[in-house]
Amino acid sequence: MTGYALRRLAQMLPVLLIASFAIFAMVYAVPGGPVAVIAGENASPEEIAAAVQRYGLDRPMVVQYADWLGRAVTGDFGLSLHSRQSVVQLIGERLPATLQLALAAILVALAIGIPVAVASAVRPQSWLDRLLSGWSALALGVPTFWLGILLILLFAVELRWLPSASRYVPLWEAPLEALRSLALPAITLGVYVSGVLGRFLRASLIGEARADYVRTARAKGVPEKRIVGLHIMRNALLPFVTIVGLMMANFIGGAVVTEAVFTYPGLGRLLIQAISTRDYPLIQGCILVILVAYMLINLAVDLLYAWIDPRIEYR
Amino acid sequence: MLWSDAAAPVQRRLMRDGLVSFLHLLRRLLARRGAALSLAFLALVALVAAIADFLPLDPLTQSVADALMPPSAESWFGTDELGRDILARVVYGARTSLVTALGAVCIAALVGVPIGLVAGFYGDWRDSLLMRCIDVLLALPNILFAMALIAVLGRSQGAALIAVGIAGIPGFARIARAQVMARRQLDFVMAVRSFGGGPGYIMFRTLLPNIMSPLVVQAIVLASIAILLEAALAFLGVGVPPPTPSWGEMLRTGKSYLYEAPSYAVLPGLVLTLTILSLDTIGRALTALLDHDEAATPGETAGDRR
Repeated sequence: MTGYALRRLAQMLPVLLIASFAIFAMVYAVPGGPVAVIAGENASPEEIAAAVQRYGLDRPMVVQYADWLGRAVTGDFGLSLHSRQSVVQLIGERLPATLQLALAAILVALAIGIPVAVASAVRPQSWLDRLLSGWSALALGVPTFWLGILLILLFAVELRWLPSASRYVPLWEAPLEALRSLALPAITLGVYVSGVLGRFLRASLIGEARADYVRTARAKGVPEKRIVGLHIMRNALLPFVTIVGLMMANFIGGAVVTEAVFTYPGLGRLLIQAISTRDYPLIQGCILVILVAYMLINLAVDLLYAWIDPRIEYR
Repeated sequence: MLWSDAAAPVQRRLMRDGLVSFLHLLRRLLARRGAALSLAFLALVALVAAIADFLPLDPLTQSVADALMPPSAESWFGTDELGRDILARVVYGARTSLVTALGAVCIAALVGVPIGLVAGFYGDWRDSLLMRCIDVLLALPNILFAMALIAVLGRSQGAALIAVGIAGIPGFARIARAQVMARRQLDFVMAVRSFGGGPGYIMFRTLLPNIMSPLVVQAIVLASIAILLEAALAFLGVGVPPPTPSWGEMLRTGKSYLYEAPSYAVLPGLVLTLTILSLDTIGRALTALLDHDEAATPGETAGDRR
């Protein structure tokens, strides 16, 4: 398995190389090129010359890329053009907030998605199944930013129970305050994911229910509750782990809209700010970090999968 | 090519059959209540967006004295922070959404389908190379990719359209590839090959017409994703630039006035949600119908059914 993990890590390299080159080339695609970005659009010839000198922009692009990559590998993404702070530090401040939101949202999604899937899979095509399938469709179709607005209207404007704008409070420092701040964004994101999880788990539960071992268990006279709870559930939950992991991976950068609704200080909003101020080193750093996180989580899920299902063997 | 001349009448008959089976499919779609309702709603949105110029609606005239009015007889959806009629802006916003969706689906299909055809047909190094590039596109969430692209292209309707379109390429490429791989060894492909049909002919004139159904479903699914993505970009403030009305932009501004005018953000969001849900419902109904057809005619498609 160690060999498999190492090989998977090695396979990530070409994808990362292509992606990082694309990310680096992005700045060259901007009208006016990197000089316009770094020196500003209305820079004087002297300022432009100084920028070219300082950043070595007169070298061939491939050489500059190698230089940038060399520093990126050691964790140096340069300085933000806007705030002059180190990009790594800026990202490091936002990452815990994003992870906390992602975890909370996954918990909400599981709390809704699993019961919905089980209840509808027990009697496929029943009225309950139709109702719950409708719920899943709704959860998937409603744009998160509209759902977020509705939740703010209900819980912050009307009832005044929860704040309309969320701050990042570490859960271990002030649990109650953290939960109050997390509740609405986590529900918004979690409802959407519960649709994905619910649909997926329902399909795999129904698939497992047709398996031979279920018929055998029935024939032996195993009680129905035990068949569903122990036999079917355990087997259906295996592929489910993959989906949950994929969703987690998506949240690292993909929660950007939810973060914007609740002005939550996550990685996604850092990226929006970077894009709106054309802060290219910050954009490059954010995207690369999101990409690496996505791939690592995917790998972790695959390894976890082998660990919980002894039938799977990676070579 | 001699062979293609001989095939012309057959091709014409296939096209006529295609039209007949399309009408047949439409009738079966309308027999489903949810799909029929969705189709009716989408038709209404599209119609109103198309004839907006002839309706007594004005999305641009400002009147600050009438700002943030609640829904009333004169303005059914109320007015926005500059006193503009929200219903008029929703109607014109439908144009922005539909045009972006249509353009994005075209871009995604025109780039994604050939990629999938080539990758699935050859299955050699071309497959590996093309699919690795698709992997890179997939590794980044849609919305981030679109935002990064807009950061380069600058904010405009065209940029939003291209960004959403490129985000849709992987979907088409993967479906076309899977479908081609399931069919490329079938008898009718072998027959064309033995007649001397070249790779291009086989890919675009033999295989492509045969994988149209799943591609059409994908187009509908992508249209709903495109509308959502366009609205999300506008909501984040990087979509179609003002003063062009856009549903996402209205939600973005409406969010600032939740206390003063709650209906401002709620009503445009409702129209957006219903549009997305309608496309979704039709997409799922079509998938169910096509799956049903495939199950009824075994042997036609081997392999990948997702």
